[in-house]
Order: sequence, then C-alpha cells, then structure tokens
Amino acid sequence: MKVVITGGKHEADYIVNTLKEEHHQLIVINNDRQFAEYISTNNDIAVFPGDPTKAYTLSDAECENADVLLALSDNDTDNYIACITAKKLFNIKRTVAKVKNPKNVELFKKLGIDSVISSTYLMAQTILNESSVENIIKTLSIEDEKIVMIEIGVEEDFQLVNQRIMDIPFPRNINISCIFRDPHVIIPKGDTRIKAEDKLIIISTPSEKEEIIDFIQKKR
Amino acid sequence: MKRNKFIVIGSGRLGANIATKMSELGEDVIIIDLTEDAFRKLQESFSGYEMVGDATDLAVLESAYIKHAKAVVITTDSDNTNIYLSHICYYVYNVPKIFVRLSDTDKGKLLEGTYIKAIYPFKLSLAEFTDQYEEGDI
Repeated sequence: MKVVITGGKHEADYIVNTLKEEHHQLIVINNDRQFAEYISTNNDIAVFPGDPTKAYTLSDAECENADVLLALSDNDTDNYIACITAKKLFNIKRTVAKVKNPKNVELFKKLGIDSVISSTYLMAQTILNESSVENIIKTLSIEDEKIVMIEIGVEEDFQLVNQRIMDIPFPRNINISCIFRDPHVIIPKGDTRIKAEDKLIIISTPSEKEEIIDFIQKKR
Repeated sequence: MKRNKFIVIGSGRLGANIATKMSELGEDVIIIDLTEDAFRKLQESFSGYEMVGDATDLAVLESAYIKHAKAVVITTDSDNTNIYLSHICYYVYNVPKIFVRLSDTDKGKLLEGTYIKAIYPFKLSLAEFTDQYEEGDI
C-alpha cells in the first residue's frame, strides 16, 4: 500500500515504524523541521518537511493515487484540510484524521473524511461499554460501533440453562458465535445445550444489545 | 424555517466593514470573533449582535443562528479555517449564500463543485495594479 503520513509527533514516529516493517510504500510529511529530521534518522526514511494542507507539498512529495492519507497534527482544522485536499485533488482513496475535539468525530465523517480518530472519544466509548452493565459482561465494538461483541457469563438460575439453542426464542439480530466452557471452546449448533458457567460470545448490533442482555439474563 | 440572519465570521477589517455595511442596509447581522477586542473595528452605525466564540465549534455557530442564516461571510485570518467553516456551512447547514476570503488562490480548488464564492484579495489587488499601471502608461 502507498501510505501518506502527515503531521504528528510520536504517533507519526510509531506508525512509520510499524508500517515500515510490513514493507508499505511510505511518504512522510512533517511541518516541524526538527521532528522531520528525527523521524527520518530514527526510521531511516526520507521525510518531506512541509505543510500538508498546501497542495504543492502533497504534489512535491508525489502523493497522487495513494491508498491512504493519515493526518495526525494537533490542529483539527488542518487535519481536515489535509484530508480534503488529498481526496479532492490527489485522488487518495482513504483519509484518516486525528481530532482533539471528540465532537468533531461525527462532523468530519459527515464532511467526507473516511475515518476519524479521537482518543477522548474512544475512551468515552470504552467507559460507556464497560460500565453500562454488570461486570460479568464485556462488550467490544467493531466497525465504528456498527457491530458489538458481547461476552456474558451464564449463571445457574438463568432460564436458558440446559436448553438447546434451537429451542430458545431469541430476539432478532443475535448470533451466539462461540461458547467458552472451560477448558473447551465450542462453536455452537442448534442442538448445543447451554450450561451454567458457560461464557457466551455473542455478535449483535448496538441497538439490540440491551434487549439481548436482558433476554439472556432472564431468571427462571 | 425563516432564513433572515446575516452572519459574519472573523471581525478583521474586511469582516467588520462588511458587517457594518450590511447592518446599515437593514440586515439582521451577527458577527463572531475569537476576541472581544476585534469588534472595535466595527463602525458606530453597526447595530447588529456581537458574539465572542470559536466558530469552528458547532455549538457557537448554532447559538449564532446559523440555521437561520440567509448568508454567511467568512473572513478569519486562516485560509484553512475559512475553507473548513465554509464546508460546514455548505454541507451541514445548507446556508444559501456563502462567501469566503482566501489568501491562497490554490485553496479555491477545494470549493469546486459547490456554490461557495471565494474572494481573493490577491487577485483584486493585481487587477487594480494592472488597471492603474495601464492608465498611467497612456
């Protein structure tokens, strides 16, 4: 893949280092001359000193038709402009912007940026997911919160204990992908019976999450 | 929804004078700037509303009645901010008339395919120079 990495300090250095190992074609642009040199010596790679929000910088660095551009500066607006310039003028397929203000995540996506990363936003999502339910349940969101993975421990008094999956009237949009029955991992079929102490790994959508948890935890 | 507000973002010399002018013409003007001091450039005849805040924050734009804007003029001192704000006004709030001041003519390419109008002081100055030079030549 041809990857353009603009702005950023240690995050840029880290990403360059990681992607370099996988033999991607990397173009690194950094407005901070000193840091550009640092990344360059540290990773043994050419770094273009320049402002990635200017079309001529992207042109000089030969960014046309790249697969991805990452905008990692500390200025949300500049990251937006770098991404939009990449998309509109250089035919770069995917753009990724880092934002400081978590409110910009939704806004940037609306304005056409493909992926928007905010550490605060991610932190808030993690806290919400972790704390929304009792500690026996863990959830993980994938694909921009379109899919959730729920892990629920089955207790003895749940009504679905000892029932076959095919006989349980589950709510919609549920898929029990995996049952962890220490020390075995079971990929369940219709006739698999759920036992107390099982850990169910369920794939679902965020809107169905609460309903599914309530259903699984229904007591006898 | 009634669109009757005229919003100016950036109270520099240009922004403040446009705001004053439109206010004199009877428009319901709201001018936004990061600092209170910037509003000193408004003339006495300005009778609009002054708002201190960062217009890149949607909450600030919304409290400046962006949803009721019939026109917005963007004249902050950063081209990147101006383009970004003009895109927000265009794609998020569908403001029917958007004007944006740009120093770098290259940046105008980011407005292609929209009805956002760019004002380039550079082009205007160059044209003015050429006119004056030719006049003097004759």
